[in-house]
Amino acid sequence: MAGLATSFGSGAMTNPFDDLEASDCLLVVGSNTTVAHPMVGMRLMRRKRTGGRLIVVDPRRTTLAELADIHLRLRPGTDVPLFNGLMRIIHESGWHKQDFIEARTENFPALLEAIAPWTPEATESVTGVPRDLLFRAAEAYATAAASSIIYCLGITQHRCGVNNVRVLADLAMLCGQIGRPGTGVNPLRGQNNVQGSCDMGGLPDYYPGYQKVDDPEVRATFARAWNRPQPTTPGLTSLEMMEALHRGSLKAMIILGENPVVSDPDASHVKAALGKAEFLLCIDIFPTPTTELAHLTLPGASFAESDGTFTNSERRVQRVRQALPPLAGRSNSRIIQDLSCRMGYAMPPDSPAAVFDEMCALTPSLRGMSHTRLDRESLCWPCPDKDHPGTPMLHKDHFVRGKGLFAGLAHTPPAELPDADYPLLLNTGMGHSHYLTGTMTRRCPMLEREMPHLVADMHPDDAKALGLREGSRIRLNSRRGSVAARAHLTDTVPQGTVFAPLHFAEAPINALTIAERDPVSKTPEFKICAVNIEKV
Amino acid sequence: MTACYALNPADLPALLTVWRKNAAVLYPCKEEGDAARLADYEPLMPVSLDYGNLSMPAVDILNGYQDVLFHWNGNERTYEARPGTEDGRPTVLFGIRPCDVAALSYLDEFYLGEYADLNYSRRREALTVVAVNCTQPGRTCFCAATQTGPFARSGYDLLLTPDGDTCWVECATARGEALIAQGAPFFRSVPTADLKARQLMLEEQCRAAFPPLPDMSDARNALLRGFHHPLWDELTPTCIACTGCTAVCPTCTCFQFNEERLSPTSGRRVRVKDSCQAPGFTRNAGGHNPRSKAGAVRHRIMDKLVYIEDRFGKKGCVGCGRCIGVCPADIDIREIVSRITADCPDDGGTPPVFISERMPRRADPQLYTPQPARIVSINDETPDIRRYVVRYTDEHLAETFRLSGQFFMVTVFGVGEVALSIPFGDQHGGEFEFCVKKVGKVTSALAALKPGDIIGLRGPYGKGFPYRSFTGRDVLIVGSGVGLAPVRTIIVRLLQERERYGRIAIIASATSYEGIVYKDDLRRWAAVPGVDVRYALARPTDAVAAHVGYINDLLPELGFDWADSRAILCASPRRIKLVSRDLLQLGMHPAHIYTSLETHMRCGVGKCGHCKVGSHYMCLDGPVFTYEEMLQLPEEF
Repeated sequence: MAGLATSFGSGAMTNPFDDLEASDCLLVVGSNTTVAHPMVGMRLMRRKRTGGRLIVVDPRRTTLAELADIHLRLRPGTDVPLFNGLMRIIHESGWHKQDFIEARTENFPALLEAIAPWTPEATESVTGVPRDLLFRAAEAYATAAASSIIYCLGITQHRCGVNNVRVLADLAMLCGQIGRPGTGVNPLRGQNNVQGSCDMGGLPDYYPGYQKVDDPEVRATFARAWNRPQPTTPGLTSLEMMEALHRGSLKAMIILGENPVVSDPDASHVKAALGKAEFLLCIDIFPTPTTELAHLTLPGASFAESDGTFTNSERRVQRVRQALPPLAGRSNSRIIQDLSCRMGYAMPPDSPAAVFDEMCALTPSLRGMSHTRLDRESLCWPCPDKDHPGTPMLHKDHFVRGKGLFAGLAHTPPAELPDADYPLLLNTGMGHSHYLTGTMTRRCPMLEREMPHLVADMHPDDAKALGLREGSRIRLNSRRGSVAARAHLTDTVPQGTVFAPLHFAEAPINALTIAERDPVSKTPEFKICAVNIEKV
Repeated sequence: MTACYALNPADLPALLTVWRKNAAVLYPCKEEGDAARLADYEPLMPVSLDYGNLSMPAVDILNGYQDVLFHWNGNERTYEARPGTEDGRPTVLFGIRPCDVAALSYLDEFYLGEYADLNYSRRREALTVVAVNCTQPGRTCFCAATQTGPFARSGYDLLLTPDGDTCWVECATARGEALIAQGAPFFRSVPTADLKARQLMLEEQCRAAFPPLPDMSDARNALLRGFHHPLWDELTPTCIACTGCTAVCPTCTCFQFNEERLSPTSGRRVRVKDSCQAPGFTRNAGGHNPRSKAGAVRHRIMDKLVYIEDRFGKKGCVGCGRCIGVCPADIDIREIVSRITADCPDDGGTPPVFISERMPRRADPQLYTPQPARIVSINDETPDIRRYVVRYTDEHLAETFRLSGQFFMVTVFGVGEVALSIPFGDQHGGEFEFCVKKVGKVTSALAALKPGDIIGLRGPYGKGFPYRSFTGRDVLIVGSGVGLAPVRTIIVRLLQERERYGRIAIIASATSYEGIVYKDDLRRWAAVPGVDVRYALARPTDAVAAHVGYINDLLPELGFDWADSRAILCASPRRIKLVSRDLLQLGMHPAHIYTSLETHMRCGVGKCGHCKVGSHYMCLDGPVFTYEEMLQLPEEF
């Protein structure tokens, strides 16, 4: 979010999903698309079959990487050097779009300065990607009529996640691959409504519609609308809240539909923090390791019991309609309204449509939307007025922030790399049959059968050195914790790397991960930490 | 019995409203584009015959989405279980297309043959089928190639053919007549010749509108020839195992059992649709999956175009094209057939496929419902193998049981069910024994039980070893690890009539002597004259005289009259092959080597599909196969 917002002025997918099929070259970075976003994966595979070129950047040989024309198998955490190296090749070869750079961007000299040291030799030695592949990928991306970048958490879940995103934005601007059909820089959201939560202001430094908390005019608008003075400083991110609980500066917390004990890094630290809360209220549809720590848990409503809107990765706002009334009696919005009333702020029990109207009235980019209109059609924001058709493609003639801002960035190595005590690098992510911490999918017998316990992918050579066989019971240890797993031997992970999914509360992989965060977005470095493995 | 009528399509809402008085009416409710889904008809809602196809097939109506197989109540000491079947509600299924009508005729053959599925049969009996011929092919339709459309030939009660302002109606059955009678004012009798002439024309028009279709007349043989075609490996990485193809297939029937606990002392077992495209479908409790991912993609196509037709004599693919429409990877059964047919022309040598005879129909009201049985005693055979002696709580059941089968389905209430072979039989006054190795969820739950606790039994199922045909011959029995369990019954029976047979050799094999089951039995058997008991172990032992090495090493020194001998091998498929190879070299005939392929059986009665290998259900046609038969199966066991 923060990276793209800085470079372009908006933190969302620049182009719609359908556009991917209009692309001539698809550059997929840090996304196991066919597993995590199968409907996007479908479009990528279809475009590849109909003649599009596919470049995959991933340390793992994912299904998509197997199908790719070019697979850049970089060392984990070397994204900035890789893309700096590619940009240097592009610039040296004259494949960049000088007119686009001059007309639509600023700060180009900073980029040139940043990429200068990343000769193909230097790039190869840091990233491990052979030079000839670097040249092929650079040429394919820069010279195609329309090239699109698709990225996911493999880019953002690093201590330099914002830099990783900005370097992708630099690449797109350098080649003029943005603002046209089939181009753009496209983050895939982890869940159906992450975009909607961010749009709604579920970020500590923004009001709805990415209106800055530290902008006095914005604050004044919301103070008037809500009839309450507004805080002048941004709030805390979720990890900062955990630390504040730990320190004692935060006393109480409400957690709605989240399971941070399993999903946040360094799980034992999270548990300790939540344990210090004077009052912890959880609202969820099933018991979770987090609700176990709550002083009070209220039964929430599932998607099928909810009425409102979801906003997907392409900024498309769509209606979600209630299929059955909330089994436990209250919708989530009603719980919040009632809580608010009891806490002394009279929030009327408005309908979801009325709440949406209030949000749209206060959010310029949504002003043209309403449930009535969304009942007929889905709309991509910005949609500033009732007759506006929505904006599937951003940055068409000019960037949202005016001129695109080149970053020009240096390499930040991962916080914790393998060493003698913890010789393997742990990479975390998703498996195809479970969703996040599995609080829902692990209750479905069919899905649970597919993946009943934690399985760690490891390279056969690493396994051999440890005397492990397929299915061997193992223990993964890091400096922060330890979990039991079974070994799956596969050369889809590079030697020296272990991959494990995060779904299992009884074997929470985040007991191992490091709470190192990006300084701007505060996104944790889930993708890299050092572990060792012992045979059980 | 065919009677012909005409109907004004504008009268359909009124007609369906009339029918609705006597039965539930499911009709095609139009959705986006020309898609439609089956929905309960409410009076006077609009009815259109202008829809492409139903997005979901009728099979879901007949299967039930979550079909309760049985309910149980009780605790460790007293359980009772009763079948969950309810009578089907009378239903008029209005508007299914000819492809789905053809699918129904296969479903009838599948569900009602051999062990008749009561849940299906009750719903099916309550169903009246009103089919609608297609006048326009859909984007992915290819029923003209599978010869299951665009017009239906049989399998319906009423058949409608839309023709502008007229709708022709053909009535084929008494049930159809009943619907005509209920809506008499709407139907006008017409001469059969008029209807047939018009149908012929409309069908020709529709056929002409199809895009070029593959010639599927030789698809079966071509696919058998193309079993190892590189295409399967090319398709595999694109398949993301989303299982969409099997979810929309009108002939997909596979299911999984789910155990639902309703309270600490009650629960139920339900079946839910399963998919052979999910990796967990054939993965066993130990984590091994005998079917590769490429094998799974191939299995679906082969099943539809080869295995189903070989076994049931009906089309397994009815050309509805739904799987093509939903596949995110554009896996297209039409293209697969075209390419393989082109690449694998008839070379005169179609691989033979042996089709074993299907059993006659059996109707068992308790088909999926286990009978309670009490654990009498538990003995540790090896560090990880236990022997359970059990007895039916209803003693009467043991008397009526003919132990012709080879395995039981054993339930731990609230946990699940597992197939266990019967190592010992009816000689013990109604007591059965099972040998269980703790590997998965159910076997772990069994390990936690104590004498006196109750389990559930279904069976016995499957074909056993034809040991009576061994009369007068030398018999070799090889059991590797827990593999000795399925053949223990046979050994006991052979020894009871010792004089009927020639020499008997038993080879027990394991990694170490601790891993051998029935140690005491083996010692006792060794003392019987003419019985040769050998051990093949990977690690030396002081307990018995054992060969350290492979089973194969021991064969030559047995000195059998190999050309006329019989052998039973219970071991891993790999070991079976290695031993068989040597036995053939010694002079044995492959039809005289027997083996038990107990591979991921779930329902035991040929319905759930997990143990289907080629056109065979391991649970019905096996688990005992000769080596000759085993070699003809695809290597997916």
